[in-house]
Amino acid sequence: SCCSCVIWDCVCRYYGNHAWLSLQKPLMLHGHERSITQIKYNREGDLLFSSAKDQCPNVWFSINGERLGTFDGHQGAVWAIDINWETTMFMSGAADQFLRIWDCATGKEVGNIRAQSSVRTCNFSYSANMAAYSTDKQLRQQCEMNIIDVRTVDESIGALHLLCCRRAASEGKACQADVAERENNGKILNMVKDHTGSINDMQMSKDGTMFITASKDKTAKLFDSDTLMCLKCYKTERPVNSAAISPILDHAGLSHCCCFQVVVGGGQEAMDVTTTSTRIGKFDSRFFHLVFEEEFGRVKGHFGPINSVAFHPDGKSYSSGGEDGYIRIHNFDSSYFEFSFEAQIEPSNK
Amino acid sequence: MSYTGCNSAFLQIVEPLQMFKSQQLFTHVINCANVIVSKPEFPDILNSRMRSYCTRVNTGYRVTWYQSDTSVSVIVINEKNCCCTGEKFCIVRTAAAVSQVHIYKNLKHGFAFSRFSCFQGYKRRVGNAKRVLRTSLGVAGEELLEDLVDIEEFLNWLVIRENLGSDSGSPISHIISGSYCMWSVLKLYTLILKASRWSETYVNWSPLGSYLATFHKKGVALWGGPTFGQMMRFSHNGVQFIDFSPCEKYLITFSPQADELPGDQKKLIIWDIRTGLEKRTFVADGLNIWPIFRWSHDDKYFARIGTDMLSVYGTPSFGLLDKKSIKIPGIRDFSWSPTDNVLAYWVAEDKDVPARVTLLEIPSRNEIRAKNLFNVADCKMHWQKSGDYLCVNVNRYSKIIRKEKNELKYSGMYYNFEIFHMREKQIPVDSVEIKEPIHAFAWEPVGSKFAIIHGDGPNISVSFYGVKTGQTPSLLKRFEKKPCNSLFWSPAGQFIVLAGLRNLGGTLEFVDSNDFVIMHSTEHFAASDVEWDPTGRYVVTAGICVLQVDTGYWIWSFQGKILKRASVETFCKLLWRPRTKTLLAVKQVSEIKKNLKKYSAQFESKDRLRMSKASKELIEKRSKLLEDFMEYRAKRIEQWKVQKGRRLELRNNRGELKLKYLELNWLRKGCLEETKEFVKNELPEPARMHRVSVET
Repeated sequence: SCCSCVIWDCVCRYYGNHAWLSLQKPLMLHGHERSITQIKYNREGDLLFSSAKDQCPNVWFSINGERLGTFDGHQGAVWAIDINWETTMFMSGAADQFLRIWDCATGKEVGNIRAQSSVRTCNFSYSANMAAYSTDKQLRQQCEMNIIDVRTVDESIGALHLLCCRRAASEGKACQADVAERENNGKILNMVKDHTGSINDMQMSKDGTMFITASKDKTAKLFDSDTLMCLKCYKTERPVNSAAISPILDHAGLSHCCCFQVVVGGGQEAMDVTTTSTRIGKFDSRFFHLVFEEEFGRVKGHFGPINSVAFHPDGKSYSSGGEDGYIRIHNFDSSYFEFSFEAQIEPSNK
Repeated sequence: MSYTGCNSAFLQIVEPLQMFKSQQLFTHVINCANVIVSKPEFPDILNSRMRSYCTRVNTGYRVTWYQSDTSVSVIVINEKNCCCTGEKFCIVRTAAAVSQVHIYKNLKHGFAFSRFSCFQGYKRRVGNAKRVLRTSLGVAGEELLEDLVDIEEFLNWLVIRENLGSDSGSPISHIISGSYCMWSVLKLYTLILKASRWSETYVNWSPLGSYLATFHKKGVALWGGPTFGQMMRFSHNGVQFIDFSPCEKYLITFSPQADELPGDQKKLIIWDIRTGLEKRTFVADGLNIWPIFRWSHDDKYFARIGTDMLSVYGTPSFGLLDKKSIKIPGIRDFSWSPTDNVLAYWVAEDKDVPARVTLLEIPSRNEIRAKNLFNVADCKMHWQKSGDYLCVNVNRYSKIIRKEKNELKYSGMYYNFEIFHMREKQIPVDSVEIKEPIHAFAWEPVGSKFAIIHGDGPNISVSFYGVKTGQTPSLLKRFEKKPCNSLFWSPAGQFIVLAGLRNLGGTLEFVDSNDFVIMHSTEHFAASDVEWDPTGRYVVTAGICVLQVDTGYWIWSFQGKILKRASVETFCKLLWRPRTKTLLAVKQVSEIKKNLKKYSAQFESKDRLRMSKASKELIEKRSKLLEDFMEYRAKRIEQWKVQKGRRLELRNNRGELKLKYLELNWLRKGCLEETKEFVKNELPEPARMHRVSVET
């Protein structure tokens, strides 16, 4: 089997015990011709959306890996995607300097907006009435964040009013801008700089109260999304490309096994990879306990760095998209769920 | 962690608990106070004599201080066989009023001891369990000693060096900003000490592990004792190399750069470690391979090689032995026996005169054995660690091709191993010939086996030979096609690691040489170093800045079971702390071996205790973390609940459905039973399994 998962018992680590457990064979989705840039599940988790440097975001059935369709129209690498909560709208931002919004059901484009430089990130708001996207610092443009009202998306999308903007999500900083108050005009409310390297990925926890950042400084950090207080830090040996929090965290916060996050290794720059073999490439997804910051398992399989990871909303499977162009959907097996950290048994017994 | 199956390693643990103390302090005091003991047996005479001074004399084997009503104190120290035969040496410090050096003598026993004034530097704090002994010469004797004795604390130390600030700054600042960590393996890898900018270049342990040497622009500093305080400094500008004598009496420092002061040519300095005094300086001329001076095993002699001569110096005079060097035309290399004052050297071929390997006894300069060798291109001498055997690895040629400029090229190479049986009469020599190129050779440190890696290209074999009295070495086992390039014997013998380091990808094979079973075959990718811990219980493999990635060290048991993987960024160096030699007599060792079961039970229970303590600590730490986090979450969820109305509004009163959570039975296991209430109450948004459920 090309896929195996190492689970280390963190108490028994001292005795040198570690278990090798194999996960079920993952679904390998090979619909992209170039490296994956981002993958996202919709809220229900039945669909998996992916974007790659090959211009066509895809949508897949997560249950069997069958491709549902593609969103054709971009003319550059697609950097970022998002789905609204009802799975009616899909948004993608690409290096062709366009942010496009699509109808999920038909795959037709409903509108687009031309940015001043390539679109790096995009996100729907909670209500999906609004969305934000950010642009790259290139073509003599500043790195900007724009907020749009997607309710007015139609043929007249050019008339989309930019609510507020211009806040650099600069290196290593997590910013919180006030978008509600129009007159504040995007004043920075809070800014922290906990990472020493640039941040590659940010993902919210399911309830939105926390988010996790993946940084080039070889750590992933958990923040409170209100106060931007750094709660936890997960250390690796490689730059971290993507990190996700298990959605069943809230149960799992108490339970024995399920609070974890994926931190993706393989964070080498793609250009460095050719000099190293996959054996040491560490193209592993790594699982850390959310609270204890201890690593308890790894899943390998990709031939290149992993660029994006996402948990299925039910927390029972996860997907990773790699530089190798593959998306792998892994189902966790019982060993993963049964795995326990000793600490939690004791307090409950007291 | 079981000790069974690892007898020799076990012994190392049994022996030192009580016994280490003595020798160290003994030699220490002897040195500082010039107490001369001519005969080590004095059973009763001492006691009777002492009684006149002391209130009591203990015949126990521990180092004990006694105080009489005046200021008379006795240290009873024993040297060898201490736990069986009782004390053997005694050092008495008398009242200051006693002005004479007392010498006790009878027919059988004689010893002398110094006046109290000689010991004045010794300060003693009674009542404090930790005695601080400071000699007049400024070395904290007992501190040093306690540190060595407390093996529970200090059994296995790793020194790990990392460089900080690797992302910025010049290369020099890299070096300066090195930080050093020490870990105790026995205590489950607890960090013992961490120091930044401790040394400007690297650090070194002394051969017995008493001192840690750090390098600075101005000289060398030695650190030791339980707190690792500074013991001594040796100022030597631009020092780059140091070499301890095997018994830690002397230290040689070498600075390759000329001193700024004109006329000051001294580049090599020999120091007395305890006093910090400069004993002798040398000018290092020409190309020398470090160590330039090589010490005999007992610190009595040191020697260096010169052109056609060998200079042997004696201590403590530091003068040339017999005031002249030994003329040996064509001498190429020499090495001391690790256990005897015997050195081996070899002389290259010269026209019709064959090459020659000679064993020389020092100080008598008797040639105790010589062997002529023909067609020799090169020789390498390997002493077995116990000094029982010497192997001379001879590279021989069948043809010699002379090229321009006196360059020689050899062809038709073949290889001989000349084995000198040091412990037998007349020192017989056996020979093993191998036609293939040799990649590595290693003696079993205790025992009579050696291992060779040989072969061309992919057909690399590892051969084990056994040496026996009166027989030619016999091939014990040959492993064919092993991708390895280095051999690492356990310091306790028997076990060996065959490693394919660096370009061979870090393959590791743990072999038991008793039955040649490969106990474990594994790899540590890109490992560049393998180090056994001094007891032979652990092996550490380290990847040190080869690929600039995945640097770190892995700790294995001697059987190849992984114990710990640790990654260290900008990892530069790893050192095990050396341990002092065993003080047990052979008889005691065999005694312990016989009763191994009894002891191992003790140690296993000790291990278990240690483990459970550690896991308890870990669990406590975790439950604390969990508690804190839960508290935070509870607060946060409260806030989140407050915002519920707003959320519902945003999604048109949809999407915030109260669902019974489905298919989460697997969660209701173990501790969750107890916490279910909490889960239900605080659960912010149940996980949805199916899309359908949203519509309900």
